[in-house]
Amino acid sequence: MSRVSIILLVAVLLSALYLVRTQYQSRALTTELDQTMSEARRLEIENDRLDVERRAQATPKRVEKLAREQLHMRTITPAITHYAKLPPPGVTTSETVRP
Amino acid sequence: MSSRSVQYTSSPLLASKTPIWRSQFIVACIALGFLGLVARAAYVQLIDNAFFKRQGAVRHVRTLDLPANRGRILDRNGHILASSVPVPSIWANPESIDRDPEKFKALAKLLGMTQAELEKKLSDEDKNFVWLKRQVDEPVAKSIEALKIKGIYARKEYKRIYPEGEAVAHVVGFTNVENIGQEGVEREFNKNLGGKPGSRRVIKDKFGQVVEDIGEIILPEDGKDLQLSIDSKAQYFAYEKIKEAVISNRAKAGSVVVLHAQTGEVLAMTNYPSFVPDKRSNLMGEQLRNRALTDTFEPGSVMKPFTIGLALNSGRLTPNSVIQTAPGSMVLTGTTIHDSHPHGALTVEQVIQVSSNVGTTKIAMQMQPQEMWETFSQAGFGQKPPIAFPGVVSGRLRPYKTWRPIEQATMSYGYGLSASLFQMARSYTVFSHEGQIIPVTLLKNEATVSGEQVFSANTASQVRKMLQMAAGPGGTGMKAQTMGYSVGGKSGTAYKQVGKTYGSEKNRKYRGWFVGMAPIDKPLIIVAVMLDEPSNGRYYGGDVAAPVFSEVVQQTLRMMRVQPDIAFKPLVVTQLEKESL
Repeated sequence: MSRVSIILLVAVLLSALYLVRTQYQSRALTTELDQTMSEARRLEIENDRLDVERRAQATPKRVEKLAREQLHMRTITPAITHYAKLPPPGVTTSETVRP
Repeated sequence: MSSRSVQYTSSPLLASKTPIWRSQFIVACIALGFLGLVARAAYVQLIDNAFFKRQGAVRHVRTLDLPANRGRILDRNGHILASSVPVPSIWANPESIDRDPEKFKALAKLLGMTQAELEKKLSDEDKNFVWLKRQVDEPVAKSIEALKIKGIYARKEYKRIYPEGEAVAHVVGFTNVENIGQEGVEREFNKNLGGKPGSRRVIKDKFGQVVEDIGEIILPEDGKDLQLSIDSKAQYFAYEKIKEAVISNRAKAGSVVVLHAQTGEVLAMTNYPSFVPDKRSNLMGEQLRNRALTDTFEPGSVMKPFTIGLALNSGRLTPNSVIQTAPGSMVLTGTTIHDSHPHGALTVEQVIQVSSNVGTTKIAMQMQPQEMWETFSQAGFGQKPPIAFPGVVSGRLRPYKTWRPIEQATMSYGYGLSASLFQMARSYTVFSHEGQIIPVTLLKNEATVSGEQVFSANTASQVRKMLQMAAGPGGTGMKAQTMGYSVGGKSGTAYKQVGKTYGSEKNRKYRGWFVGMAPIDKPLIIVAVMLDEPSNGRYYGGDVAAPVFSEVVQQTLRMMRVQPDIAFKPLVVTQLEKESL
């Protein structure tokens, strides 16, 4: 009777210690998960911010300014455009139409 | 052996002088003490544990707010029109702030306020939270941090960024510092864009790190991205053109609306003067108004195609029926109706082409007020345009029962009722879309739509031909012609009402506009242009608005990759046919 009690007591103690250890690990992992998640969110936000910045560099206003001032381009009109017609399927020669 | 045994206890020296019950009493007392402790421990831990639980929670349990990201606003090609980015906001704790005058001076300078203003903000020492400046630039926040003033902190807040700036400002609108939509699409779709913040309860350890979640995590619902029908390139181009026109005509303001003629999508809607949504200090209502939707005026000649369309649709006339407009004026119940100059006998087509008031009136007088009212209403006049946007107005179209004959006449050529430029643009879908008035939308929707039938497809096509003539040689809107694409449309000009009159001869104010479509055989876009108070000598819609129409049509169709439908030739603009006011 007393042998069984002692074995049970030892088992209880071991399981209690194991519980403490598991709890500790669980907390450490939670911390890690939380940090990783906030890092993910930070990166997501950073990505959004860079997206906006990229767009700000490519707005029609800026593109037009650069095209005009640095590349000396001009607005196109039909007068200076060649219109290419896609040949119907099966025909290999291409035809250029200038209206 | 046994005889030698000694009975030590019997030694008189060892014999206890104290009675045995005393030691027993002490043991019992100690045991009772322990029992008391056990009972107390049990009571504290099992029965009345709320107080201690609460104290533990106060020290370690935190509720974390999980902010929801506000959805972005995109144009039809997925380009960002509005997006949220985190920026620092500066706050202070006046209770514990370190009031060093030197540092205060530097801080005030960085915050862009005077030292007195700063000190006023921090004067109430009972407070422990005061915003100093919200949404500052990153470098400013860094410099403030570098000052290392005790009691000054920064926290991240979301700020809306509008990369396209003033060109789309009226459509997109803006949010306030709390990220709540105040104008435009930001306001109209605030709920969808805003999302729902979530929260989670956690236990934090002494380092402030999360070690355990308690209970359920309420995940934030991020706001949904909103894709508009606006094409940012077309929008920018329209904005630049109307801006140029407003400046060169010394006008007060101008608007452009570009609609997709088959899907009802708004491709561009822009006004000048505009504003930069990121810098809104010194903003005036004048700049803020989306004039295309909020300002109404008498549509003038733009209405004539509806009057004529009704006559054609009901079989009363054909495009070649002849109307006598000589001598260029007519008297109706005591009021004289004028043409800009006498035209003589005109076909119905020519009535539109030269924009004859007399001709239109003669046609209108063959019809009942009720049918005219019904047609105008169906075309959206006097009705709120079905578009989700704050501040949309319905214009004015009085019930037909109150129409006097002279009013019926003036309404047939567009005076005595009012509409916004957007309503006019939409009403022309009747002619572009086989006689149907189609619903319009600011959200991307590429499916072809159908709407209420106002005229037959044949009538619509006949009127389109007339609109082409009006924008062709001998018409009022010749300057609307554009290289490579066939166009059709109607110009309009009106005196602006000043108080109760139209102003005296000398200080009359005008408004000129043009509404049209292209390519004319199967229209893809409807463009409406309006200039408010052009005052550089020219003021006819055909003179000031039609050139803007021409450029916007050409560039928009090119961006839509539409092949030119007519042979192009250099434009020679001859004498314009003058509009009748």
